[in-house]
Amino acid sequence: MNPTFHKNGGSSYVKHSVFAMTTWVVFMFVLESGCAFVRGNYGEDLNQGDISTIKKGVSTRAEVAAILGAPDRIVEANGRDIFHYYHYDVKSGYVIIFSRTNIKSDDIFVIFNSAGVVEDVVAGKKKPPLEFQFWPFD
Amino acid sequence: MIRRTRTCFWIIAWLFVLSGCLRGPLAWQRVTLNQPLSEEDVSFVVNGKTSLSEVVEQLGAPNQMLSSNGGVVARYQFTDGKYFRVDFGWGLRFLSPFYSPDLVLGGGGSGADLFQITYNDRWIVQDHGFAFHSQLSEFRLWPFQD
Repeated sequence: MNPTFHKNGGSSYVKHSVFAMTTWVVFMFVLESGCAFVRGNYGEDLNQGDISTIKKGVSTRAEVAAILGAPDRIVEANGRDIFHYYHYDVKSGYVIIFSRTNIKSDDIFVIFNSAGVVEDVVAGKKKPPLEFQFWPFD
Repeated sequence: MIRRTRTCFWIIAWLFVLSGCLRGPLAWQRVTLNQPLSEEDVSFVVNGKTSLSEVVEQLGAPNQMLSSNGGVVARYQFTDGKYFRVDFGWGLRFLSPFYSPDLVLGGGGSGADLFQITYNDRWIVQDHGFAFHSQLSEFRLWPFQD
């Protein structure tokens, strides 16, 4: 880049180069800070079709385990066994100096009576998908 | 003069790139788990009347089911965490690239809103209640105050 010298020659050049350098410094700062969008999950996302094959009052503990796999947790409550299956979805956005991480959990509980037969299946509607966000203030 | 300025510029540019400090001097970070529930969302729940299936129909499956004396406790949880940091030593790396200590002030917090329902033996709501603590999370600059 060839500098243009006006009446005030050197001073204009210095102003120009200071401006260019400041612009580059800001640009490099932005570049260095960077941005990132990250996605992760934990646990298996259970199929709604599989869940609907479990019949209340009919399916046994072994059948549920065969359909959905081993539970992530077993809770004993009130003389009943409860199989707890969970799946976590994580979306994280990072832009320059702001970052936001959203986590969503989908939980399914299968409640067995004392005879080991399904008493109830607690599975709500599937939650809407997470959004990628980076703004942390809303 | 031009050559000197250019050299200066490239040295600064490379220091930026090679400084290895992928984190900038400032950071606002937030982590949330699930969506918040309000009093209105749960206004349909009536003790001694509403059943588990009705609650699940409206609110979805809970995040936790726990054993409690004479019943089962279901909990819905919304957690909010906020963190802020500023590194006052960040600029030193341009003066001393080989040793630039961090001078960090920052802080944050996390809190959870919790909606809890206790069911009896027949899966009817026995009692329910809210705990609002997500407001405790805040971006904090000064870590020394009590």
